Amino acid sequence: MNSPDAENLGERPRVQLSKSPTGINGFDEITDGGLPAGRPSLVCGPPGAGKTLFALQFLVNGVTRYAEPGVFLSFEESRAEVVANVDSLGFDLDGLERDGRLLVDALTMELQAVETGEFDLEALMVQVAWAVEKVGAKRVAIDNVEALFATFARPSVVRSELRRLFRWLKDQELTTVITGERGEGTITRHGIEEYLSDCVVVLDDRVVQDVATRRLRVVKYRGSTHGRNEYPFLIGADGLEVLPITSLGLNQQVSSERVSTGVVGLDEMLGGHGVFRDSGVLVSGSSGTGKTTLAASFADAACRRGETVLFFSFEESESQIYRNMASVGLDLAGWVERGLLRFHCERPTTRGLEDHLATMQRLIQRLAPTLVVIDPVSSLARGATAFDVSAMLMRQVYYLKSAGITAVMTLLSEQNGLEQSIMNISSLVDTSLEVVILSAFGERNRGLYVLKSRGMAHSNQIREFLLSDAGVDVVPVVVGAEGVLTGSARIAEESAERATAQGLSRESEELARAMESRRESVDAHVAALRADFAAEERLTRRLIQASEQRHEAVRLDRLAQGRRRTVKPPENEP
Amino acid sequence: MSTPSEAQPRERAPIPERLTLTLFVSGASPASSRAVRRLRDLCDRHCASGYDLEIVDIYQQPAMVVSRGVLAVPTLFKELPLPVRVLIGDFTDEPRVLAALGLSHPKGD
Repeated sequence: MNSPDAENLGERPRVQLSKSPTGINGFDEITDGGLPAGRPSLVCGPPGAGKTLFALQFLVNGVTRYAEPGVFLSFEESRAEVVANVDSLGFDLDGLERDGRLLVDALTMELQAVETGEFDLEALMVQVAWAVEKVGAKRVAIDNVEALFATFARPSVVRSELRRLFRWLKDQELTTVITGERGEGTITRHGIEEYLSDCVVVLDDRVVQDVATRRLRVVKYRGSTHGRNEYPFLIGADGLEVLPITSLGLNQQVSSERVSTGVVGLDEMLGGHGVFRDSGVLVSGSSGTGKTTLAASFADAACRRGETVLFFSFEESESQIYRNMASVGLDLAGWVERGLLRFHCERPTTRGLEDHLATMQRLIQRLAPTLVVIDPVSSLARGATAFDVSAMLMRQVYYLKSAGITAVMTLLSEQNGLEQSIMNISSLVDTSLEVVILSAFGERNRGLYVLKSRGMAHSNQIREFLLSDAGVDVVPVVVGAEGVLTGSARIAEESAERATAQGLSRESEELARAMESRRESVDAHVAALRADFAAEERLTRRLIQASEQRHEAVRLDRLAQGRRRTVKPPENEP
Repeated sequence: MSTPSEAQPRERAPIPERLTLTLFVSGASPASSRAVRRLRDLCDRHCASGYDLEIVDIYQQPAMVVSRGVLAVPTLFKELPLPVRVLIGDFTDEPRVLAALGLSHPKGD
């Protein structure tokens, strides 16, 4: 019944383009293998978007991971500037150059030239060819090719010469990254994308509420499938990293080991064993609901098991947390002293989202904790869109899960505009706990319920979340005539019930006693009746006896009279 | 190949120096030959103090192209007298060439 076209789609033999991996985390995933091998690709974006880094990383990874020597040609910066810029990222360009596997050169004109007539850029071609030949390059990066338009006053010459250069690079089968400036209404300012039609990647660096967020999009990829979304990326310790949310593999090994939440009552709600070791736990609730305390309980429980915990705090300082948690009997300072707990406290607004992610990743890798607390994850969301946050969390949760680390995140749920992100986050985590405020009878009390918990039986009840100097606990609430009762109302209801129970038992005792005495009286009655009856019986028997005696006497009299009437009594008379 | 500088009278305050020029061209292409011819002619006519011209074929000496950072051809470096000036093009715009080389004298001179 299918149309012939639809059927053919699945069977059409697909010639997959040969690809050259960039080694940039995430990018190779969204492009299904990297950039088109032996062809030029265009990477463009505004200044500071990470174009140069993309190009350099592509080259350095080519040299170090894929045994492909590379050439980096800059039209913008001097050689020293290029080397210095990526030194902080651990790219040892000088070292790679000494090994003869990389060549970094600046194609900048130091002096302003005077144009006196016709010219071409044949010398540029010679320079590129010379560099490629020198290291036997398979990869080339030409950084900000559009700077050439500023160098020469004749755009038409530059354009036709660049076209010639791209053709030459293609003929040489060099995998090339060419960077360009983003233009108004066009992909690049001078429209060079016209000559680079194989693969076009656009980088963006947007500032949303004072916080910069980076995005990457593959606009075009001739002859290949590719992720079409806009992907957030970050520049971290290892350079550029793309977060390909939708193509995350769901193939991690899962653990069936359960770990305690540190709260007995909560463990009970989660089928009696707590959460899975490699799960993501989200604690959401409005301000002052005890989310941090609950997270600290998780941490405390892990430390008790002798495990390492990394606690990211984006709102409170370490000492503030010590003090606050000590008030509910959690000695976090003690765990820190023993080296089991490590805090990382930072104001979320100081840096962008991707910076935080990078720092977190780095610390996690260094400390190898079994549990990570992010308190609150919503703080990171400041200035970022819901999409960013959930994308970031998706990545983070996935990363932690695959490393077998329990992730406990708190989320302030009353922040504006986060409704959507909460829902997104909720679908990522395995266990979602919500702390709610139950206010009644002039009190606000904390209620805790399990919104969801994958893969385990869990309680559907709202329980009361108690924070006291005796510790943290979760107790069943009382459902009275007025509904769910918590706090003093619960205590009142409980004692009322106790009193009623006492009353009930007294009443039954009395009834039992009354019955006993009644039984006694009935017994007495019965005895009396029996006694009466016995007396009556004796009398009756006596009367019967007397009557019988009288009857005999009458019979005997009749016999005696009969004898007197006859002379001789009959012989056979009985 | 040039006007003898010794013959210049000594009364003019600064003695004009000899020009030291380096010209990068692409092989023996007609355009390159034309540019070389035009430059020589121009210098012969205007450079009273004489000049030395080195011609570099970018295909023969690519290392030199790289070290001088040459992108366009023809590219002319006026090495001396200082400051160094860079000229790009085939020297058809004569006034600009002369100005850049410091050879243009005021009309009344």
